[in-house]
Amino acid sequence: MQFWVAQTLNSLAFGGLLFLLSSGFSLIFGLMRLANLTHGALFMLGAYIGAYLMRAFPGTSLWMAALASGIAVAVFGGLLERFVLRRLAGNALGQVLLTLGIAFIISDGCLLVFGGDPIPLSTPHWLARPVFLWGFIFPAYRLAVVVLAVFAALGLHILLDRTRLGAMIRAGVDDMAMARAVGIPVSAIFTLVFCLGSAIAGAGGVLAGPILSAYPGLDGDMLPLALIVVILGGVGSITGAFVGSFIIGAIYTFGIALLPDLAYVILFLPMILVIAIRPNGLFGRMAV
Amino acid sequence: MKTRGLYIAISLVSLIVLPFVAGDFYINLATQVLIAVVFSASLNILVGYAGLSSLGHAAFLGFAAYICAGTTVTLGLPPLVAAVLALAGTTLLAAIFGAIALRASGLGFLMITLALAQVVWGLAYRWVGLTNGDNGLTGLTRPHPFGVSLDSPAAFYLATLLTTGIALTVIAILVGSAYGVSLQGTRDQPRRMAALGHNVWLVRWTAFIIAGFWAGVAGLLYVYYQRYIHPSVLSMATSAEGLLGVIAGGSGTLAGPVVGAALVVILKNYASIYIERWNMLLGAVFVLIVLVMPDGIVPGVRRLLARRDR
Amino acid sequence: MTVPALLIENLHKSFRGLIATNDVTMRIEPGERRLLIGPNGAGKTTLFNQISGDLLPGAGRIELFGTDVTTLPPHRRAHMGLARTYQILTLFPRETLLRNVELALLGLRPGRWNMVRPLARDRALVQEAAVALTRVGLGGLADRPVAALSYGEKRRLEIALALAQNPRLLLLDEPLAGLSTEERETVRKVIADIPRTTTVVLIEHDMDIALDLADTVTLLQFGTVIVDGTRDSVIADPRTREVYLGH
Repeated sequence: MQFWVAQTLNSLAFGGLLFLLSSGFSLIFGLMRLANLTHGALFMLGAYIGAYLMRAFPGTSLWMAALASGIAVAVFGGLLERFVLRRLAGNALGQVLLTLGIAFIISDGCLLVFGGDPIPLSTPHWLARPVFLWGFIFPAYRLAVVVLAVFAALGLHILLDRTRLGAMIRAGVDDMAMARAVGIPVSAIFTLVFCLGSAIAGAGGVLAGPILSAYPGLDGDMLPLALIVVILGGVGSITGAFVGSFIIGAIYTFGIALLPDLAYVILFLPMILVIAIRPNGLFGRMAV
Repeated sequence: MKTRGLYIAISLVSLIVLPFVAGDFYINLATQVLIAVVFSASLNILVGYAGLSSLGHAAFLGFAAYICAGTTVTLGLPPLVAAVLALAGTTLLAAIFGAIALRASGLGFLMITLALAQVVWGLAYRWVGLTNGDNGLTGLTRPHPFGVSLDSPAAFYLATLLTTGIALTVIAILVGSAYGVSLQGTRDQPRRMAALGHNVWLVRWTAFIIAGFWAGVAGLLYVYYQRYIHPSVLSMATSAEGLLGVIAGGSGTLAGPVVGAALVVILKNYASIYIERWNMLLGAVFVLIVLVMPDGIVPGVRRLLARRDR
Repeated sequence: MTVPALLIENLHKSFRGLIATNDVTMRIEPGERRLLIGPNGAGKTTLFNQISGDLLPGAGRIELFGTDVTTLPPHRRAHMGLARTYQILTLFPRETLLRNVELALLGLRPGRWNMVRPLARDRALVQEAAVALTRVGLGGLADRPVAALSYGEKRRLEIALALAQNPRLLLLDEPLAGLSTEERETVRKVIADIPRTTTVVLIEHDMDIALDLADTVTLLQFGTVIVDGTRDSVIADPRTREVYLGH
């Protein structure tokens, strides 16, 4: 029984991390029609920056590292969008190839700088202990990750649904031309959303550190899962990213635990089902 | 027109003569170039002629390679049977993946092809019982068609040259046929094509299957060249290199993938002597090409020549 | 009663609350020349899009020569004899005029699946395409790329593509838009010369030419049929004046 409970918590934690990664990707894709293949690398970059900060400046807590990473990756993302991606506006394939190229550069760059061994990030002391609930043992940090993901989802929801900025973003997702016509500063919002998505990814990488570690290939492992989440949950939808992340998190975790050989195929199936029945994804509002 | 025929003739002669004048290193390099050319040419059917950008093409190359290696080494099937099975299986896989991916278009299509290819990659890594996982499959020996051994680099090179020639010829014929022109029509004006009576989905799905088939051929050449297959061949990096070969050369042309693939392979081989991190360079080349030469080399050179002739 | 070329019954389409097609019923006889008029935003092109299959209606029924085609995909409707032109040109920009028409001719032929024979070698097809181009007065430009054409010539090519299908029902969406007086006359003649074996439905704003070509007229406003009948009766109808002058 403990096994099932542990795996459930693992899948919730993994789902939470996936959400941090895919929410940004989904927003960027939904608003800017940009399939940002750099996103997995930004997640990894965040993890490595966090690892570096915690090693170079002992006493840096995981939270501070996450904040710093988030900011650093956001700045990187903002510069990338503003000065490079914008030059390719309208050239969707070009943007995809460019983000792919940047992903390769970041990923190999990290390998060059940090070496090939995985670097685990230390769990914050007060969370590095088991929690006893209802007779079961839960690693506290994983619980914390789930809580954080929920807060992030709530935060994004409030941003998108309750603020003026969010209204402008949603308008852009729904009808770009109309939004422009109404005077919404679309270019500035693009950069902002890209920064926001990058920040969440970067911070997410750090928060994933104690569970996944920072290692070469983290980007390649996470990005396809984020893709499947967005295909499943629907483009441009935070709810979709949320639901999708936990579904995929669960399938992936239980899949690896129960049927390690076929874990990837099991991911396959819900994705195919959704594409066949609802090509827009569970919550998407536009064709992928 | 005559000059183009002359260029082709000269290239062909040099290619055939190569193994008699060059050392093994260059012969093997040339073989790798040819395999990459077949792969990029197959991808070009999708990207250049159908207008469908795919980042999951490595799945077909790898799938064919694995079936060939697996059935030969594990089941002891004769090479011809293994090759037929591999191509049949890959064609079937392309039919299935195509049907799924074509539910979307544009970026959605791209993302689905990527996700599907990643699933195959993950399968190759994890289903250790079937694929031997991270260790890969070894022990494959090259076939000897009609009693001719392909063990020497020169012999294998010539066999690859022949296969590449056939592949490029068939693809060239396809492009110039009624189907080929219709395919390009669906790239440029899908709505108009549907209004004219063309079944756009069917045209695209057929192209996807044909592209997958030829990628499978590249996979067979690859696995016999290496005599070994590893899951990393199914990675996004392989698909990306194929795509780079297409765009660097110039998509939507016949010569483009030839030039582009050659460039990528030569760069990869020489760069890895001086630079440890090939992926970084690959990424940089991507960025450069997209920003500076988005049409690719072949159209760029053509434009230059046209300007000179004026 | 003969089988109508086009029968539309209670067609309805709305976009997120905005009604584009409001309970439209129309009947067009074979050989008829029907003109569809109405102010901008009346839903004329939306109606065309549902007839051609580019858009699925929310409710209602569309019949082509007696067969229900309401949910049939566009390419299948082409095989039933439907052809159309678009408001925004949909030509093949990288090809020659000849190639453009060849693609139109191939659409209905099994030969379009031939993967072996070079298209350029199909002499018969080239001939047919040349004839189709001559029909719209573009015969001399057959080998030129589309990019070299003037706007008026491109509009004529767009019509040539539709005519190449030898359609039983032809939908023309603003074929005269943006043309000079001279070009308008050329296109008018092309449309007037279409044989009565082809039924024509025309959306146009240029009343002088369009009314001259039409047998019957349907007036749409806000997706609803306001007036429907012979040309003269619609012109005389006070509601027509109201729709146009009430703005």
